[in-house]
Amino acid sequence: MSANVHPLGRKLETFSYDDKIVRYFVIATVIWGAVAMLLGITIAFQMAEYRLNLGLPWTTFGRLRPLHTNAAIFAFCGNAIFAGIYYSTQRLLKARLYNDFLSKVHFWGWQLIIVLAAITLPLGLTSGKEYAELEWPIDILITVIWVAFAVNFFGTIIKRRERHIYVAIWFYIATIVTVAVLHIVNSLAIPVSITKSYSMYSGVQDALVQWWYGHNAVAFFLTTPFLGLMYYFIPKAANRPVYSYRLSIIHFWSLVFIYIWAGPHHLLYSTLPEWAQTLGMAFSVALWMPSWGGMINGLMTLRGVWHKVRTEPTLRFMATALTFYGMSTFEGPLLSIKSVNAIAHFTDWIPGHVHSGTIGWNYMITAGILYYLVSKLWNAEIYSKKIANIQFWAATIGLVLYIISMWVAGITQSLMWRAIDETGKLVYPNFIETVVRIVPMYWVRAIGGTLVFLSFLLMAYNLYKTAKNGKGVTDETFEAYALDESSVEKDASQHRKLEGMPTLFAVLSLIAILIGSAIEIVPSILSHQYIEKMDEVRPYSSLELIGRDVYVREGCYLCHSQTVRPMAHEVLRYGKASEAAEFVYDHPFQWGSKRTGPDLARVGGKYSNLWHYRHFAKPQEVTAGSIMPRYSWLFENKIDFNSIPKKMSVMKMLGVPYSKEEIDSGIKDAKLQAQEITEDLSKTGSISPEMQNKEVIALIAYIQRIGIDYGSIEEPLEEDE
Amino acid sequence: MSSDNKNKLQIEEDEKHLLLDHNYDGIQELNHPLPSWWNAMFYAGIIFGICYWAYYSFLGGKTLRDELAVEMTVVKQAQAEYKLLTEAYKPEVFEQFNKPENMEQALAVFTDNCLQCHAENGRGDVGPNLTDDYWLVSQGTPETNYKVVYYGSEENGMPAWGEVLSSEEIYQALVYVNSLKNTFHPEGKEPQGEKISE
Repeated sequence: MSANVHPLGRKLETFSYDDKIVRYFVIATVIWGAVAMLLGITIAFQMAEYRLNLGLPWTTFGRLRPLHTNAAIFAFCGNAIFAGIYYSTQRLLKARLYNDFLSKVHFWGWQLIIVLAAITLPLGLTSGKEYAELEWPIDILITVIWVAFAVNFFGTIIKRRERHIYVAIWFYIATIVTVAVLHIVNSLAIPVSITKSYSMYSGVQDALVQWWYGHNAVAFFLTTPFLGLMYYFIPKAANRPVYSYRLSIIHFWSLVFIYIWAGPHHLLYSTLPEWAQTLGMAFSVALWMPSWGGMINGLMTLRGVWHKVRTEPTLRFMATALTFYGMSTFEGPLLSIKSVNAIAHFTDWIPGHVHSGTIGWNYMITAGILYYLVSKLWNAEIYSKKIANIQFWAATIGLVLYIISMWVAGITQSLMWRAIDETGKLVYPNFIETVVRIVPMYWVRAIGGTLVFLSFLLMAYNLYKTAKNGKGVTDETFEAYALDESSVEKDASQHRKLEGMPTLFAVLSLIAILIGSAIEIVPSILSHQYIEKMDEVRPYSSLELIGRDVYVREGCYLCHSQTVRPMAHEVLRYGKASEAAEFVYDHPFQWGSKRTGPDLARVGGKYSNLWHYRHFAKPQEVTAGSIMPRYSWLFENKIDFNSIPKKMSVMKMLGVPYSKEEIDSGIKDAKLQAQEITEDLSKTGSISPEMQNKEVIALIAYIQRIGIDYGSIEEPLEEDE
Repeated sequence: MSSDNKNKLQIEEDEKHLLLDHNYDGIQELNHPLPSWWNAMFYAGIIFGICYWAYYSFLGGKTLRDELAVEMTVVKQAQAEYKLLTEAYKPEVFEQFNKPENMEQALAVFTDNCLQCHAENGRGDVGPNLTDDYWLVSQGTPETNYKVVYYGSEENGMPAWGEVLSSEEIYQALVYVNSLKNTFHPEGKEPQGEKISE
């Protein structure tokens, strides 16, 4: 780095950008994107045809689904974000990344996390919290790598040669700060072993923290960073000025402030205190316009250059992405309206909504960014605009098939669930009827997904050829003046001044997201009245605890909910509406977010042990038409009795009232309970007593316990009619 | 690299006066006023949010439990009325369905609801064998079977189908079950309960 002195005392500096690391992230984005989508279509076909689970533990839906979501969000979108942020930040700040070594640590560390996820999730090592399934050692690694990213990013800001930070950088700052807070708070857990931990929180509190995290992972991992990227790549590719600086300011701050409150809309009709549910819903509706602010600013920037949208792949994908972003950010507030949520929640409408965001927004905008980056970074013209065109239509048609099939499936099934006839009975009392009806839609979705996957492969090929035809990589050098007093604007507006103070900007962003977080979460931690305790609800027995771990490991919560909503049709179908006190010993909570199969909150005692035994072996022989996978390995794996004392001790640390005697006799008690269940099985179904040390027995013990402590109390307090 | 982009920057005539003196890597910013419809909806969203929250939190909006109670009153009344009509066994209704030409429909009801525990041809699996002459809860007659099907048998895992099926469907199922009696399926489950000889 050399320095010349300007006549007026300004220092002209020469520097270059670290584009090598951006190329690395670009390549990783393409590879992981293909993997994530391949996993996506795998599990989509598994829902249409259960045999595709292959009968193996590590290829079964419950284990692959978290792998798909983690790969799509953190591997594909994550690498895309890092590529785009590192490319644009250097140019927007006129500074090379703070530290090349940190950039490498960031890149390789993140790939290591992905590989660890790809190994551990199929093995069933999971914390059982959606989108945060990775176990504690990987969580720590994520924190370390995220800090490396943050240091590298803020270090670059400190070294900048541009006084003011552009709106893209605002969004990056909010992303980095908020994701750190979300990840750390939601991942707090006490380890049992190197591969197993229990969430710090339980029941309602765990649900609240989890969906504060889950919703804002969408906000601050899939939305804000991509909005930032949009603010860089659209004006660059279109050679147009951004539409409205004023709109940028208003929609940035309102988006960041309001988004964080909306998490509880994932818990409407649950046992979360109603004031929190209502807050989540109210803020979701208020979020509509702040979200659309980004869409308007992006689309209006294209004013006068719409002809380029038809010919330039970058602009075409980005304009389409903004349109789908607009659609899904309208659908989101709509789905959080109570009466709509009552219909849509737990149905396929939700995955449909999610994918109009992830495919329509994240994939499309990433495609635009990748075409831009590869042609710049490899110094080449796009190899084939025709292939890009085919890719565009394949992706769009695939996505439309996905969205429409899931609307149809979701609404059809929901209407069937809730149908009550004039005699006060459910019209479709057998859950399976409502599943069989929508299986054709699962096929349509899988075909739509396949089109999206193929479109991605086309892009990968197109990008590869583009890079290959490139004129070679050159390390350009640039010149700019060092930051000095001359760039201070007099009479600048307050916000303009703030744009020159990135540290204060970051602090204010942090405050903006902490307000909503604190108001919603802190009461659940401080107040003893938040959940009224119930004497009848007792901790799980040692065998049930082990069985619950099997339930978590197999990802049962991904298809079965555990919460009966206060609605007549649910009470008729499942039993009494759930109460908050029932979940106080559930570390982690297992309410789930989707009912591919029926709710299990009141399943205890509903069927015989033998029913479950047969059902886990071959669900289709018990329930004709069932799409549930077979769990043959539960009949071979032995129960890990030795882990019981440790697990109970950790639970005790977390506040579950196990006595010392109970912990000491945990193994003995578990064996005894397993023996009793097996005796019942051999009496009713000639099952060999040797099965008593197999995992299926522990799982049955847990299933038979769910919801009975409160569920078996005869009609309390309902006589006030 | 940044300078050539700047040269190509496209600005419409009518927005030149809105261009700000910002330049980041060639990116410039206009300062259009907020679209009025956007502004209006933005504030409307906030006002709606406040009103909605206030209504449900302290201005008398129904709680979820209140809503459930209202729904359940209606359902329970309908159920009670239907129960009065159907709870007693009516031999004439049974006979009305107990005809060879009806057997196909009877089998369909059995298949949809009973098969999963009593297996094909009622040979028994999770639930008892219905083809032998042992009976666990009932006496094997349509009348006693009706009671077991209607109210269920909690200790034996039999659901109360009276809460689920229409009375017509229950008679259909009974007709089929009656046809199985003493057919002694070769792969039948071992006997459970008391031997009932008629």
